[in-house]
Amino acid sequence: MLSRFSDVLQTAADVLAPPATRLEDFQYHWKMIIHFYQNYDDNSKVHIEDTRIPHHLHQMLQLIVEEEKEQQGGTVGPCLEAIVQRSVCLLDALTALAAADRPPGARSLALTTGTALLRRTRQPCVNSAHVYRPLQRMLIQCNENPASPTEKEEVELLLTLCGLVRKEPGLANIFTTPFVEEKSSLLSIPEDIQRLIPLKSKVQTPKKNPLFEVEMAPNPMRNISLVRTNSKEDNGAITTSNSSVADDNVSCKSQKTVYEDNDKFLLIDLLLSYLNSADNQVVLRACEGIMIVSSLPEDDIANLVTSCSPVCETIIEKLAEKYKSVPLDVDPNDVDHLNITWAYVAQDFGDKGYNRFHGYRELTSFFSWLDYCDTLMKECHPAIASHLSRTFRAQFLEAAGELALGSARSATLAAALLAKCLRVVDSQELINEFSNWLVGDGEMSEWPLLLVLINNCLSDDHDLTLETLRFFETIVEKGTEHSINRLVLSRVCSRGYYSQQPVLEEDERDRLNDVSLWRERERNREAMKQLQHEDHVTEQINDILQHEGLETKEQPDTENIHRIINSFLLLLPRAVLSDPVGSDYEHYIHDAQRHYQLWLDVTSNFSWPSDQNCGDNTASSTHSYDSRPEADIHMNEEFQPLHQTMDHKDTWIKDHYPMDDNNHFSQKLVLRTRDVNTTAVEEEFDEGPFFRMLFKLLSNMPYQPYQVNLHLTAIISKLALIPHPYLHEYLLNPMLPTSKKTPTLFKILQDVARRLTMEIPRIKNYKKVIESTRLQLMSEDPSYDDRGDHNQLVESLIVLEEFCKELAAIAFVKYQHGMHMHG
Amino acid sequence: MAYAYLFKYIIIGDTGVGKSCLLLQFTDKRFQPVHDLTIGVEFGARMITIDGKQIKLQIWDTAGQEAFRSITRSYYRGAAGALLVYDITRRDTFNHLTTWLEDARQHSNSNMVIMLIGNKSDLESRREVKKEEGEAFAREHGLVFMETSAKTAANVEEAFINTAKEIYEKIQEGVFDINNEANGIKIGPQHSTGGGASGAGGAGAGGAAGGGCC
Repeated sequence: MLSRFSDVLQTAADVLAPPATRLEDFQYHWKMIIHFYQNYDDNSKVHIEDTRIPHHLHQMLQLIVEEEKEQQGGTVGPCLEAIVQRSVCLLDALTALAAADRPPGARSLALTTGTALLRRTRQPCVNSAHVYRPLQRMLIQCNENPASPTEKEEVELLLTLCGLVRKEPGLANIFTTPFVEEKSSLLSIPEDIQRLIPLKSKVQTPKKNPLFEVEMAPNPMRNISLVRTNSKEDNGAITTSNSSVADDNVSCKSQKTVYEDNDKFLLIDLLLSYLNSADNQVVLRACEGIMIVSSLPEDDIANLVTSCSPVCETIIEKLAEKYKSVPLDVDPNDVDHLNITWAYVAQDFGDKGYNRFHGYRELTSFFSWLDYCDTLMKECHPAIASHLSRTFRAQFLEAAGELALGSARSATLAAALLAKCLRVVDSQELINEFSNWLVGDGEMSEWPLLLVLINNCLSDDHDLTLETLRFFETIVEKGTEHSINRLVLSRVCSRGYYSQQPVLEEDERDRLNDVSLWRERERNREAMKQLQHEDHVTEQINDILQHEGLETKEQPDTENIHRIINSFLLLLPRAVLSDPVGSDYEHYIHDAQRHYQLWLDVTSNFSWPSDQNCGDNTASSTHSYDSRPEADIHMNEEFQPLHQTMDHKDTWIKDHYPMDDNNHFSQKLVLRTRDVNTTAVEEEFDEGPFFRMLFKLLSNMPYQPYQVNLHLTAIISKLALIPHPYLHEYLLNPMLPTSKKTPTLFKILQDVARRLTMEIPRIKNYKKVIESTRLQLMSEDPSYDDRGDHNQLVESLIVLEEFCKELAAIAFVKYQHGMHMHG
Repeated sequence: MAYAYLFKYIIIGDTGVGKSCLLLQFTDKRFQPVHDLTIGVEFGARMITIDGKQIKLQIWDTAGQEAFRSITRSYYRGAAGALLVYDITRRDTFNHLTTWLEDARQHSNSNMVIMLIGNKSDLESRREVKKEEGEAFAREHGLVFMETSAKTAANVEEAFINTAKEIYEKIQEGVFDINNEANGIKIGPQHSTGGGASGAGGAGAGGAAGGGCC
């Protein structure tokens, strides 16, 4: 009441006397605040919003903002200077109000006023002792009471300080413990203010405040305070503004190199407690603050964050928690369709009704947090990123992997979640951690976890098989050099599948080439149609080859690529084909082109023998012998010496890898290892557990659900796209000479085709069934999967048919690429 | 409140061009001359009506300061629309548009509708960037252009609503996959999965059903 009366008096006085200067105004509002507290009655229950305090504080703030606009060259105006010199101890008062909360609501007001002062002014002079000391004290008010009614205001203040530090990294010193000299001086509010705004009880040390977990070193002298505390010097520094700030930064850096165990980065540690808030807005602010500070380019700050703060551990721990809270019975398809970015949750979870399916909230919360980790990885300092990714593997992946070892249900969910995790993660370091975790990073070639997952693919539980396959599909898709080497190439790159006595599938060759058989078949009407079909396919391929710019006559190799494409396209007899016209070859070719280019980009810096390694004509012969199976006919003789003596082998290597010494070396090593372990020719090729699993599932195609076959063939076509010469010939060369027992993709496909060709015509009206099944599959009707009346046999036939087209297209595209490279 | 669609917007541009003021004017219909520096992101939301349908705009107002760029970038993903704002009284804010645009295109989906906004049109006397220059820039980069004043509210409604209309048209044309939330579009609660797919086609019937639902 009294204050309002004074205001009126002041207004009246203004009319009579010349208007007050801005500083006088400022001092007036300050006096009104002092006056209020001098006369404050603790028994009054009035809320701060019903007093004039908010008005005065607002006016003071306004005056500082206005004066700053008029200041030239970043100098400090008289109002702010009054604060810096503590002739107006506004900030100390705010700190006291935040602690005492008198009258009720003062704490919130003090925090928001402090935040506003920092956010509205361009130069809030934080490196002045009379500004940062109260701020430090105010931070201590931000204790870890999880349900604090002012948590929003607290976290805003913290975020604001993070922002200031981001703009002026030298300020970070103020919030690291070596520079917070004495606990007691931090806790005690200056006496003049204490007299004015007494605390009801003594200031209690916040129990969980990180600052007070620190045992201060007995000799505070070891830490040289870089922030000048002498107020006179301070003023000088402020008025000359920016240049002195920059000087400060330089000196900070030179001295802040070694950190003691007790060092803390208050700002980031305080933010951690808000990550557990029930209010998503508060969590978001804390996340932003952490990201802002972590993205500072200063090495010493990053080292402080990783070595002295539990921030990485806390963030990953939360991820693991959220992972564990996903209910076991969520539908893996829901996991697959989810699309979440961080910060999104804050908006969405407002409407509680938005629970679209079972487990939605838990999944959203988990994937949103994962996205935060991923974003943080990409934005933060490299030192923090590597620490965070190590923690990600040690604390999250290892824990998540345990689920994969559990019951079929938990293993299914784990596979679905991990596949989705890997799919959405963008940071290369996290992807690397994923792949190292899966395939192991030591020398041990088969990792227990990997073997369990491979086994899960072979389980009788189709859901488990499907989800684990999807997981492997993602592993291949996001393949790193290490994971592909381990998973796929470890055996293939010895070229042990190659046998000097080519066991050609004679009848297959005959079927395509033999003239006498050709005549015999002519008598049969169906055979006639088959031949027409073959001619048609050949013609089509010719068309496509020409259309894609390959001149059949100029390239002697085109005959071989023709054979390869034919082998795949004519694998199934016309009679059981669902789409004999093959109208979508071109579609497959364009898809393969796109994907192959992606693979070329990804593997361009892998240390693989590749097309790129071969520069001139000599080298291009390497290419045609190794990386393109279509040249294998010529290769037979060339490879003869390889299997005789070591000496010859070296010559062979020199001939084939004349350009690249590294390659030479690695190839030699590979070949030697093989020789030591084996007795040459009779040795059986071990394709390794991963291929063994894929091939086993592949031969089981006719008896597996459509979805399983779809993902299975998707994995294999991805592998076939990989630009590695041995993997390429192993998967894509039907004419590859191998020993009888060595399994190859083509042999298995032939076997499956044979069985399907035998069994399908036994189905009543099989042509109709094939036709209708194809239509249904192509319609992509989501309800189709739920119906019980599918014919698995026919479905697998259609998958096989399409898969063959895809493989033919991939073989062609890789051939075409080789031609362009060396043509 | 029920809505047919929810669109996510971002507001980007240099510091001090009036991004937060535009948002405040649009959501609260008021102007606040002194505004706190935005660190990170501030949210706003408002319901609008297009073609008889309730559409909720969820607006993410981002920090313009260079220092916070790393964090604002992460908010670009999954936005259906963007308001790219410059200040007609400060040429440097116009000169930086290319950087903003590159950043936005790189970190968001390719179909995002971008509206270029020259703000502070009330300060005609201090104008440094001609309206024609803004128009030319927009034409060159395939953006929609408008000059606004967050202070007088001129064109503010239009800027937000026209962006929404453009997004809505893209939905009708099938450019946006509305079932993929990464596009910044969400189907409202009354449109279940089945209804969402048909929603684009039967606009009239859908609107009536939506009205009945509320």
